[in-house]
Amino acid sequence: MLGKGPAKKVTIYINETAQYHMQSLHDAILTYLLNKGVSGATAMRAFAGFGAHQQLHTPKVEVLSMDLPIRIEFVETAEKVDDVLPTLYEMVSDGLIEVQDTTVVRHARKSPRGEPKLPHERRQGPATLLRVFLGEEDKWRGEPLYDAIVKKLRMMEIAGATVYRGILGYGAKGHEHKRSFFHPMRDLPVMVSVIDSADKIAAAAEAIEDMLDDGLIVLSDVEIIRLVRSHAVTEGAG
Amino acid sequence: MNNTYSAKLLRIHISESDHHNGKPLYEAIVAKCRERKIAGATVFRGLEGYGETAAMHKAHLIRHDQPIVITVVDSAEQIAGLVPVVESMMDTGLMVLSDVKVIRAQKKAAP
Repeated sequence: MLGKGPAKKVTIYINETAQYHMQSLHDAILTYLLNKGVSGATAMRAFAGFGAHQQLHTPKVEVLSMDLPIRIEFVETAEKVDDVLPTLYEMVSDGLIEVQDTTVVRHARKSPRGEPKLPHERRQGPATLLRVFLGEEDKWRGEPLYDAIVKKLRMMEIAGATVYRGILGYGAKGHEHKRSFFHPMRDLPVMVSVIDSADKIAAAAEAIEDMLDDGLIVLSDVEIIRLVRSHAVTEGAG
Repeated sequence: MNNTYSAKLLRIHISESDHHNGKPLYEAIVAKCRERKIAGATVFRGLEGYGETAAMHKAHLIRHDQPIVITVVDSAEQIAGLVPVVESMMDTGLMVLSDVKVIRAQKKAAP
């Protein structure tokens, strides 16, 4: 299964009219990749181009417009790519196959809406709670700091985060955060609470520290009971 | 009279859109806490957040789906009794337990 981290990107250049066993080659390749369980592949028709035959394929000339270049791309783990390459080599008798190293930043799969409610899974154990205290007006590269922190945590795949707005408070900056008729500026205290395993929280604390100008990070040990719906179970049942 | 004693603090992380028997889940949980004579429960609404569903919960013009956190403080036994009850009401979510020291100003004897 393709996950975050290093992966391989395969690009195949063929012609639209290329045939493979009585069907078009790009269809055959896509069907093959689908059957092999490759996590995703895209076939694109190019606007114009030329290849090994040094013949220009362009939509401007009607005779040539039916034979435009096709480019098929997919990203997979190195093992999977090794698995499918021999067959692709066999199929692409006229064209180019290219493999390059790449990095997967996100590979997400949205669960379909309205899926049946299944009993949740219970996970219990020790964890760490991290709280960051900041001001609502604090900015990080032009966007609210709390927003930037939550986005960063999501990218780090931290289990969850919640942002709270306080009613009144004061902190490192020494000024009182409050809202009243005379203080229309919205600079109320904001707290972000984050819960995950100790090592993930340590990494999160480091990342938040870099973004925080002045503020407070508080850590405490907690015990958690997590109710999650496992998607692996959903797939098996559906 | 020593008013400081050890207790448990339970935080229940859910979503504003969660329902239980037709009413908001946070209301149902607070009602359950009252029924079980839990010392106190406070509901907080978060500005934004994300969790089990991985969907960003944010204030929306027509749809309110902000994160909700219910904080409950009581003795270890009371909290231990409450956890399975809340668990049966919840769909997905997170419960966080921590040990706390409680300093309680008591004007009259506890019920």
